[in-house]
Amino acid sequence: MGMTITEKIIARAAGKERVKVGDFVNAGVDKLYIKDLRFSKKEDAKGLYGVLLEVLQSMGTDRVWDAKRIITNLDEQPARTDRRAEGQDMARKFAREQQSILYEGAEGGIGHNVMVEHGHVKPGEFIVGADSHTCTYGALGSFATGIGFTETIGVLATGKIWLKVPPAIRFELTGKPGPCVVGKDIVLWAAGKIGYEGAINRTLEYTGPGINEVSIESRLTLCNMAVEMIAVNAIVPPDDRTVAYVREVSEGGFDILQSDPDAQYEQAYTVDLSKIEPQVAAPEYPANAHPVGDFRGMKIHQGFIGTCTNARIEDLRMAADILRGRKVQPGIRLIITPASFEAHRLAEKEGLLEIFRQADATVTSSECGLCVRPSLAAGEVCISSGNRNYRGRMGPKESSVFLSNAATVAASAVTGEITDPRELL
Amino acid sequence: MAPLVVRGRIWKFGDSIDNGNIDGVMEGVDPEFKNKVAPGDILVAGKFFGMGASDEHAPRFLKQAGIAAIGAESISNIYQRTLVNIGLPAMECPGISRLVEEGDEIEIDFTSGKVPNLRSGQIGSGDKLPEIALRILQQGGLIPYLKGQFASKETRSQV
Ligand code: SF4
Repeated sequence: MGMTITEKIIARAAGKERVKVGDFVNAGVDKLYIKDLRFSKKEDAKGLYGVLLEVLQSMGTDRVWDAKRIITNLDEQPARTDRRAEGQDMARKFAREQQSILYEGAEGGIGHNVMVEHGHVKPGEFIVGADSHTCTYGALGSFATGIGFTETIGVLATGKIWLKVPPAIRFELTGKPGPCVVGKDIVLWAAGKIGYEGAINRTLEYTGPGINEVSIESRLTLCNMAVEMIAVNAIVPPDDRTVAYVREVSEGGFDILQSDPDAQYEQAYTVDLSKIEPQVAAPEYPANAHPVGDFRGMKIHQGFIGTCTNARIEDLRMAADILRGRKVQPGIRLIITPASFEAHRLAEKEGLLEIFRQADATVTSSECGLCVRPSLAAGEVCISSGNRNYRGRMGPKESSVFLSNAATVAASAVTGEITDPRELL
Repeated sequence: MAPLVVRGRIWKFGDSIDNGNIDGVMEGVDPEFKNKVAPGDILVAGKFFGMGASDEHAPRFLKQAGIAAIGAESISNIYQRTLVNIGLPAMECPGISRLVEEGDEIEIDFTSGKVPNLRSGQIGSGDKLPEIALRILQQGGLIPYLKGQFASKETRSQV
């Protein structure tokens, strides 16, 4: 019996010929991502680094397992809470003392985007991260999953983690997406199809001839939202686009693995991309997804283009195509937070920032931003390009969040109500 | 140190209990639970126990409340690892909801995967934890395990 690409990566990391669904393995980690907040003292009074130092001391060392495989990022710039500032202070101390990699300032942005853009994610790698959206990296053909506080300390000390091999759900993509249909629409459609909890403890694999039509940015969105279906990981097996992208941003070689033709899938769905319309997810779950037309006339107060889900250059370009020569409706606010300073710089170069300014949108510096910081009053409605629309995600529990792609956010900000972006093309 | 064979009275919960519900000792499902539970009790849950956010507050609450073991139809993977890593044994036991009633005394044998109901005499079974998880549990969690492991002069590569 064949193996899926996820099983092959786990097998290699565990030093085994083969693994099968349900096996527990002890795997060696290629990269560890840690976000700044994990260093705060929320979960343990000693903080992550404090506990780690005790563990290292008992090992007779003061060094982590492999400093060059550990990447830390400051996801909020500047820090706006005591807890964040404390976490960032510890993150910097950790990186300085252990000589591991840390991104902040103009090199940074949202960690998950920074990881990808700086070449820390390669096909075939086994990556874990102290943040749930670590699953984003599956877009480049790696296995990537989020881990908890204590196991982060375990990986820092030993470079190893134990886990269970997940069964896989396959989405076989065919056809070519129409205008204003990107990764976000595909993943919201998929969430709507399998439902909230639909992928719990499972792998999502996006494959088929249609994947050639899906950009790297869109693949990152596909994999980013796997955790909203409570999947362990999501993966797009590497193809020419992957190889070209990874060569551009990183050095050295990598493993191109593919699923075997006779690999086993627990469920399989076929999706004709030409039939997918721009999707909108109503509060309070991403799986509440329907075609944008179903929400016609829904009034909004705020549009937000940001987060590790949809604020990359592809999203900024889509938004600019809608906003060019138009203005955000008076009384409505549109906030645009490029996912990284790299995306910010590109947008500047391409003249997109000027289009946003002319449209009366507010462009902020790159960070998680409104994804985790309240910006809505009770009763207000936001349409966001992010990944989560749980109750109270962006404000008090009487506020609400709809999710869509960046073009739909821009179109809705122009009209003041949820709008099909294809009408403004 | 967590024993690997746990015998105790059970508290039974349903499906899809997420981390938010578990926080404050199952406060989201039963606000009175923290006053009813006694050290050594076993928590039995349905499908998808511990789904959602993965911060360690909520599972640490369960441990502090004295919950000695968890058996559930299914457990979110990351949650199961977290529970083991903080020294609270948890096993997936498909069919367990049908096997037990509130207040039953059961045993969960984490070494064999057997789950006998001491009232009914029926024996369920679970998905045995790997060797590494059992060793972690024996030490009371990942942090004491790591400290003990290295204090006994083994090398990093043997983990
Ligand atoms: S943008 Fe939001 S979802 Fe993404 S890492 Fe930041 S806080 Fe998490």
